[in-house]
Parts: sequence; structure tokens; C-alpha cells
Amino acid sequence: MDVVLQQFVNGVTVGGFYALIALGYTMVYGVLKLINFAHGDLCILAAFIGLSVLTTGIGGANAGALMVALAFVVAAVAVGIAGTVLELTAYRPLRKAHRLSAVVSALGASMLIENGIMLVWGPQVKVFPSNLLPHISWSFAGASISFVQVLIIGGSLLLMAGLYYYVHHTRFGTAIRAAAIDQDAARLMGINVNRVITSVFIVGPALGAVGGLFVGLYYREAYFNMGWIYGLNAFIAAIIGGIGNIPGAMVGGLLLGLFNAFAAGYVSSTWQEAITFALLIAILLVRPTGILGERVAEKI
Amino acid sequence: MRRTLVITALGALAAATLWGAALAQQPIKIGVQAPITGQYANEGQGIEKGVELIAKQINAQGGLLGRQIQVQTCDDAGEASQAAICARQLVNAGVLAVIGTYTSGAALAAEPIYARANVIQTSDGTSDKLTQSGYKTFFRNAPPNSAEAKFTAQFLVKGKDYQRVAVLSDHSSFAQGLSQAVIKEVKAAGGNIVFTGFINAGSQDYTAVLTKIKSLNPDVLYFSGYYPDGGLIRAQMEQLHMNAAFVGGDANQNVAFAKIAGSAAQGAIIINVPSPENLPYPAAKQFLSDYKTAYGQDPPSIYTFTNADGFRAVIAAIKATNSTDPAKLMDWMHHMTNFQGLTGTFSWNASGERIGSPFTAFEIQADGSYKIIYPASAGQ
Repeated sequence: MDVVLQQFVNGVTVGGFYALIALGYTMVYGVLKLINFAHGDLCILAAFIGLSVLTTGIGGANAGALMVALAFVVAAVAVGIAGTVLELTAYRPLRKAHRLSAVVSALGASMLIENGIMLVWGPQVKVFPSNLLPHISWSFAGASISFVQVLIIGGSLLLMAGLYYYVHHTRFGTAIRAAAIDQDAARLMGINVNRVITSVFIVGPALGAVGGLFVGLYYREAYFNMGWIYGLNAFIAAIIGGIGNIPGAMVGGLLLGLFNAFAAGYVSSTWQEAITFALLIAILLVRPTGILGERVAEKI
Repeated sequence: MRRTLVITALGALAAATLWGAALAQQPIKIGVQAPITGQYANEGQGIEKGVELIAKQINAQGGLLGRQIQVQTCDDAGEASQAAICARQLVNAGVLAVIGTYTSGAALAAEPIYARANVIQTSDGTSDKLTQSGYKTFFRNAPPNSAEAKFTAQFLVKGKDYQRVAVLSDHSSFAQGLSQAVIKEVKAAGGNIVFTGFINAGSQDYTAVLTKIKSLNPDVLYFSGYYPDGGLIRAQMEQLHMNAAFVGGDANQNVAFAKIAGSAAQGAIIINVPSPENLPYPAAKQFLSDYKTAYGQDPPSIYTFTNADGFRAVIAAIKATNSTDPAKLMDWMHHMTNFQGLTGTFSWNASGERIGSPFTAFEIQADGSYKIIYPASAGQ
């Protein structure tokens, strides 16, 4: 039992990262039908920006929690801006072009960001200071959970709930959903579709930035090319949940994390990825649009 | 006719005697084959500087058998093609022994040329092939690939008496090869492997497989992969409240390991050849300080020391046999026992393999420094 519970905790923590990052994929897809392959790299860019804020030394040695909060704000804002710039330069000029052109542009942007991180921060593994967050961990029923894990799980759920509220219960959220269903009709209704798209490219990367910085704070290491692996996993999470569907991204992320943990824990660590992906294929065979893909009429 | 023959014979004898007397005044020529340029230039220059330092010290004390040592270096750039040219050059120059080189490929290419010319060759290079051709002239001065696994098994089973061993590797050919060798050696030493598994390097989250390992209750977790993953595994072991000890292979030795592992770094054990400043032997400390004084820089790696050990063994052979006859020297070197090297005590078997590995197990201390805990003699 304790092992099952521990694997559950392990899986939900990783699932939290995947879910936060998957939201960015799914929002962009919902509105533009574009897979933003640079999204994973944007998220990891946040980890590096956060690291730079945390190691500036301002605030002194005892300002741990405050500095961490500041790092989250700076990283989210900076990556939100980076997302907007990305949309303006790499995607907007190609909006009327063939969809494959935008995919190639996205892959190019991914490499640009990845190599940019390498040139600015260097190719070595970067290590986060270990004294930022309290080293507390709780044990229950033989399983242990640390303060950082609670922060990640709590923070992810809170942000996801916030996003759900924003999209479904605010005026601008309604505009986003309208643009997702039919951009021309939305424009005729007086919705500024370009503003909607810009907002999607701010909110998605900003949420991903929080996810990326969570990754950095939890593992306390970051390297320039890790955006690819997180991006890929989050993309898969978005697909399982039903791409374009916000609650779907959350469910997909958590499910992927749990699959991974239980595959490694109960079947074979060697075949962990293979087993995970076999399960995913099985899900898509049964529900080709993803788990929550058909529950709502519009995507997003 | 007979008279002519006798005179000729006498003449030849006289010439030989004179030649012999002249020879006694001539320096003893020692070759250095090393990558002075190219990718491994740093290592090659370290080998050359180490050999020249020792030669200078011996010459200052009056030389060997009353003769000075003359060092001649040939740059093989770490490449096999250049190594063959170097070997011929050094053989033509009449060297008695060659110290170096750094890469296995270059050493392998030069090996048969030295063997045919009866020139002693002492080289590092980890390829197991180097000692498999049966050349009497070859003496390896560094441990081969297989030595780390043997040492690790010895440490886990005999040194620490760990009953239950879990082994984790990544999918790289290096880490897989090492973990398979360790598993084989641990079993051979009578240890019990309770878990064998893999991680995907760089995937960062190893809690799932560690939770599985924890449920099997091993005494030790051995990880053969690289430090970015090793540091994380160590940190996540602490997070999961695992009691098992952590022992990492040589690729875990990096300052970043302790930084990534954070508060969990203390007590982690890493197995590797020690870096020069961690060599515990007085002669090694002396050599290190002499090297720094002479060149104003640190030697690039332990391989400066293993090659110096090869040279020191040749010198010891010349002194012990009072001769520069390669056959006598090689015979002495094949039979010497417990030679006190800079990198530990060693000897050579019939195929020129180094017996007595320089590997040590060291534990990370609270301040991030290393403390050698095995072998016990090295820790003193």
C-alpha cells in the first residue's frame, strides 16, 4: 500500500509539470490549430530566467521565499513577452500560409530558443541553490511527500482552476472560446481576434513558465536542451486529454505522470517509456479525440 | 688468409671495446610518444612534462649508471596514422624505452613497431586489446576498462560487506558496459544482486524506479551513469527516505554532483581513479609539488602520473639490473613485485597488464570534499 501511495505521489508531481506545460499547447491549438513546438523551450527558458533572478544575490540570504516569488513573477512576465514576440515574428506572418509552414517555423523557433539558452547560459548543467525552500517532508502511511511537491501540486491545481474560470466565466474568456469555434464569425461579432491570439500566446507561455520554474526548483538542475523532452511529454499529455480542451490537458498531464510512475514501479524501468506509450496508443484507439475530446462542442 | 681473418677479428674486437667505452659516455635515450597537438594536447603535454621533470631530477643527481637521460618527444596527435610514424622515428633514434601515449588507438598502432625493434613501451589507454597481442615489450601503466568493475565489486562485497545490491544504469554504451561488468563481478565475488534497471538519462524524475528499489530493501544502490543523473538520484533517494547507500561509477565524479544532490550529497560514495591532488601517497604529493614548481600549472590528469609511473619503473629496472639491455629490463619489469608507484602499488603480469589498480572509493564530505575510504592503505 505504501508503495502504491508513494508511486501516486511521484506520478502526480510529474503530472503537474506536464499538465501546466500542456495547457500552452492546447490553448494555441484550440484557437489556431497550430502545434507550437517552441512551447517546451519557452517553459525551460523560464527555468533559466528564474535561476538568474535567484542567483543575483539581491534580497540577501534570508529572503528565500520572497526571492522565489519574485523569480516566478519575472519568469512568467518575461516568457509571456517572449511568447508574444514569437507569435508576432514566427507565426503571424504565416497565418494565411499552408499549415505545414507554421509547423516548420515552430520547429525553427524551438531550435532558436534552445541554442539561445545555450549561448547565454552555457552548455553545462546549471544547478539551483539548495537553500531556497524549506527542507520539510511529511510521511503518511509509509509514503513521503516534500514541501516542494506540495507546492507544485497545489500551485498547479490552483493555476489550472484559475485558467478554467478565466476561459469560462469572463468576457475575454468567452471571446477566446468564440474565436476558437469560428474566427470569421467572431470577427463579425466585433471580437478582435488578433488580440485574442496575442492573449493566448501570453497566458499559455506564462503558465508554462511557472511549470518550467517548478521543474527547476524541484530537481534543482536545468540544462539547455531539456525543453524538448518536457515539451514532447506535455504535447502527448495534451493529445491524450483531447487537444484543444483545457480540462483535457490537465487530465492528460496527470494521467501521463501516473502511467510513467506505475510502469516503472510495477512493470519494468527499462520498458517504462514503451509501456507508457503503448497505453497511450490504446487510449487513442478507443477514443481517437482523446479522453475529454468530445465532451464540449468547441475546442478550448 | 687465416692471418687476415685473425687481424680482422682482433680489429673488430678492439672496435667493439672502444665502441662500448664510447657508449658508456653516451646518454640513455628515452622516447615520449604523446599527443602534443590536437584534441588531447593537454594530456599529451602533461605526459611529456612529467617525463622531462623526472629525467631532469635524475640527471641532476648524476644520471643513471653514470649516464645522462636524454628525452626525445614525438607528437602523435592522438591518431593511429601519426603514431606509426612516431614509432619508427623513435626506433630510428635509438631509444631504449618509450613512455606514452594517451589514446588506446595510437598505442595500438605503435605497439607492433616497438615490439619488432625490442623497444620497451609503457602507455596508458584503457582498451583491453592493448595487452591481448602478446607483445613482450608492452607495459600498461593505467587500469584497463575491466579494472573499475573488479574494484567496485571488491569494494561492495569485501570492503563494505553489502549483502543486497541494486544496480541502476542509463542506456549509454559506457554505463551499460560498466553496469554489466559490475553485476558479473559482484556475482563472482559472492554478492547478491536484488535489482537491475535502467533510467532514461536526462528525464530527471527517477522517483518511480527508486520507490520500486526501496521496496526491495537493498543495502546499496550502484549507479553506473553520469553525474547530472547521479546527483538527482542521490537527492531523490533522500526525498523518499531511502536508507540504502549510494555508490556511483567514475562518471559521477564532477563538482556538479554534490551541488545537484544538495543536502543529500554527504555520504555518497564515488569510485574513480583519484585526481592528482587527491593521490594520498607521499611520493605523489612530492611529484605534484615539483611539477607545479617546474611548470607553474597543475598536471592535466592522473594520466600524467600513470605515465610517470611507467618511466619510474623503467628507471628502477635499469638501476636494479645495472644494465640497459632491453631483454634484462623487460624480464625484471615482468617479475617486479609491489612496485611503489605514484598511483599506488602495482606490478605487471606476463602480458604487460597492470596488476594493482589505482582506483579508490571516496566519500563526499559535508564541505563537498572527498575522503578516500577504500582501499584502507590509501586512506592513511
